[in-house]
Amino acid sequence: MGNLRAHQCTDRPPTLAIDNLQVEIAMQRGLARVVDKVNIEVWPKEIVGVIGESGSGKTMTALSVLGLIPQRAQLSGEIRLSGQALTRLPEAAFRKLRGDRIAYIPQDALRALNPVLRVDMQVGEPFNIHRRTPWQEAKRRALGLLSAVHIPEPQRRAHEYPHQFSGGMQQRAMIAMGLALEPELLIADEPTTALDVTVQAQVLRLLREIRESHGTAILFITHDLGVISELCDWVYVMYAGSVLEQGPVETIFDNPAHPYTQMLLRATPTVGTVHEDLLSIPGTIPQPFELPAGCRFADRCPYRFAPCGREPPLLQANSGHEARCWLLVESPVSSAASIS
Amino acid sequence: MTAVVDSGSSRHRRRFNWRRWLLLLIGGGLVSIVLLCAIFAELIAPFSPYDLDVSNMLQGPSTGHWLGTDEVGRDELSRVIYAARISIEVALVAVGVGLLGGTIIGILAAYFGGWIDLILMRFMELLFSFPAILLAVILMASLGTSMLNAMIAIGIIFIPGFSRLARAATNDVLRQQYIDAARVIGMSDGRILTREILPNVVTPLLVEAAVAFAYAVLLESALSFLGLGAQPPEPSWGNMLSTGRGFMAQAPWLGIAPGMAMFLCVLGFNLVGDGLRDVFDPHLRD
Amino acid sequence: MLRLIAIRLAVFFPTLLAASIVLFVAINVVPGSAAKAALGIDATAQAIARFEHQHGLDRPLHEQYLDWVLRVFRGDLGKSFQNHVPVGPEVLKRLPVTLELATLAFLIANLIAVPLGALAAFYHQRRADTAITMMATVFGAIPNFWLATLLILVFALTLRWLPVGGFAPMVDNPILNLRQMVMPAVSLGIVSSALLLRIMRTSMLEVLSSDYIRTARAKGATRNIVIWRHAIRNALIPYLTVGAVEFGFLFGGVVIIEDIFLLPGIGSLVLVGIINRDYPVLLAAALVITVVVLTANMVVDIIAALLDPRLVRAKGAT
Repeated sequence: MGNLRAHQCTDRPPTLAIDNLQVEIAMQRGLARVVDKVNIEVWPKEIVGVIGESGSGKTMTALSVLGLIPQRAQLSGEIRLSGQALTRLPEAAFRKLRGDRIAYIPQDALRALNPVLRVDMQVGEPFNIHRRTPWQEAKRRALGLLSAVHIPEPQRRAHEYPHQFSGGMQQRAMIAMGLALEPELLIADEPTTALDVTVQAQVLRLLREIRESHGTAILFITHDLGVISELCDWVYVMYAGSVLEQGPVETIFDNPAHPYTQMLLRATPTVGTVHEDLLSIPGTIPQPFELPAGCRFADRCPYRFAPCGREPPLLQANSGHEARCWLLVESPVSSAASIS
Repeated sequence: MTAVVDSGSSRHRRRFNWRRWLLLLIGGGLVSIVLLCAIFAELIAPFSPYDLDVSNMLQGPSTGHWLGTDEVGRDELSRVIYAARISIEVALVAVGVGLLGGTIIGILAAYFGGWIDLILMRFMELLFSFPAILLAVILMASLGTSMLNAMIAIGIIFIPGFSRLARAATNDVLRQQYIDAARVIGMSDGRILTREILPNVVTPLLVEAAVAFAYAVLLESALSFLGLGAQPPEPSWGNMLSTGRGFMAQAPWLGIAPGMAMFLCVLGFNLVGDGLRDVFDPHLRD
Repeated sequence: MLRLIAIRLAVFFPTLLAASIVLFVAINVVPGSAAKAALGIDATAQAIARFEHQHGLDRPLHEQYLDWVLRVFRGDLGKSFQNHVPVGPEVLKRLPVTLELATLAFLIANLIAVPLGALAAFYHQRRADTAITMMATVFGAIPNFWLATLLILVFALTLRWLPVGGFAPMVDNPILNLRQMVMPAVSLGIVSSALLLRIMRTSMLEVLSSDYIRTARAKGATRNIVIWRHAIRNALIPYLTVGAVEFGFLFGGVVIIEDIFLLPGIGSLVLVGIINRDYPVLLAAALVITVVVLTANMVVDIIAALLDPRLVRAKGAT
């Protein structure tokens, strides 16, 4: 990239560097390549969005960073956390990073919280696991975290069970748990999908606060363009396991280069709310075990032309903005002319 | 559970499938041996299971008598082989009784629903909560000890289990559209039950039948062991073990051989049942 | 919570009543068999009629049942045909023996099934899972009375470490009592552990694939923390509900195991009742076993509910 990102530093490595990541899962119908040659960087204090439909490989990418991909999955490529290579780390060492240096906030907070354990115990558990903090102290710290994420009456609420919390409070408890040990990297996998709009806004505000106060780098996974535009500095657009476009949020929203991104933006009625069913692009995402040889979006693309039979590389669109589309270097007319 | 790089994962899968196939083969082999013994006992057994030989009592295993002789000099191996016949006969009839009774009750409960369903299934649940052997023992006490009664008593125990399965399977079938179609074209209840529903509930019931078969062999042996099933001199693994127990200090093989036969037979049917479940019902695979 | 117990109790009594009808009918399926059984096959018609009249067996079945149930409510379990001794005290005397045996056996079964089932699920489709599942298959195929026979052969007759059988009450001689109970409890427990282990494994597999387990792993929890802190309680809830049924199966086993080890419990009383064709004895023993099994089911159900704060708190919230 020619230009530096807003948060990029020259003196230290990115918080997260995913380099040529590939994840394959053996299934009955064949080998499914769910993540394919993905490169993602997240710098300190940066909020990076990954957007894609379900099946685009965004969650599998997140789980790869955590080392929690299914047993059957095979991973290649390189993942580095502040310069430290994770991919060949033994499980015992990897475990020590999880919850300490990398935290994960999943989609459905109610299902992600253990139904039979009290909230303060679950939120304080990272202290006990990684710092051997005695339980009493860990629970006291959990209380602090719960008030930091604006849970009302934390004293009383801390002793309750997850099902006694509202949806927004459950998600905030999950965030509190993630923040416990002030990780370098927070991976948030659609943390606002299940929430209504006002609660969603509160959670997003909370994430911004955290970035400012702790300098945490955040990888934010979503299928909601509105959230991306509101929250993120940089965005990666994923489709069928591959990154189709990436760049600064403003550039991509003002001047999308890939037809897929353009259609996503057009399918969004108003910035702020978009749900998966509104992405009314004709056709379906290709299955991961029968990926087309050329451009993955070609089947659904209105600008499809001859070169699309070959897979395009990421091509420069604007400053720091790249897209995987032949339209950036060839115009349909000239290509048609060259064939004839 | 998780390894970051788990290159061995596909190997795990292949070995697992191979193992399942092997287990089904072992189970099938054991079942075949038992069935062959039951059908061709006269041809396979080296001696008569009834002929006494007082000069040859409690002899240890030898080339003449592979499993030794019992307290009245009968060949233990021949008796073990003949006993397979009784076990298989009892299990066959008992499972048949359970299958028939259970299927009828289960299908009727599901098909008619409402009060009939509620009452029938509550009663089945009740029967299910009794300890099986206790129920069998009590039925034997009132019916009187005979092989036929043992078959009936064991069969009754199986009815609740089969009826539950048949009911669930029938409900699944009833949700399919073709049943509505059959009603629309004016098929009678009886025709729908026999033509449309019955063929579709057979598979899960057959899988269960293999497991029930193993359990029937166990129950028959238990009843005979208590003296409520096969009566001496008729050889049954249960009553052989029961008499053999009395001579354990001098002739331990009399306590080992019939039990081992029982164990291998039950193991065989269980393995076949598990294997069939894997083949026919991938949802139940854990 | 109280409401939960109340509901379970409200189900318990009708179930018990229905069960008592089943028992009564099962014993009297063949009319007149009681008298014939008690007097022998060559009893004269006259003798049979006298016997039936004497014991009220010539009345309609529902009348006999009502009479029996009402007496049972008053604590009268009837008198033995054989020696005219009241059955109630005999049952009470024998009950502790059976309860001790069943409790020990259930304890052994669970001590095998819970940890091994949990481990098998954790190492799903790995070598440990294969080995444990195979073990469960083998255990499940061993007839408990054969295992009992083999244990006697090895530990009593050959090694002479344990007594062949007999019973000394816990209060008189606790060490001898436990030495006598080891083999019976093990032979019942090991065989029961097979089914319980499979239930535990399935239940644990379900739990381990849930989101909150992924959360625990994302927090950096070790294998032991994942299993014993996060998964076990959730897995035990369905396990106990299904496992309660196994307690019934296990209880059936006491009939045969008590006979083998000469334990004077309810199970051997059932056999005495059958051998002597003593229907009041048989009926009383079977009824007591049924009460114990149904009570155990109820208690286990309540324990399972107690483990789930969603159920316990549900009432407090409304």
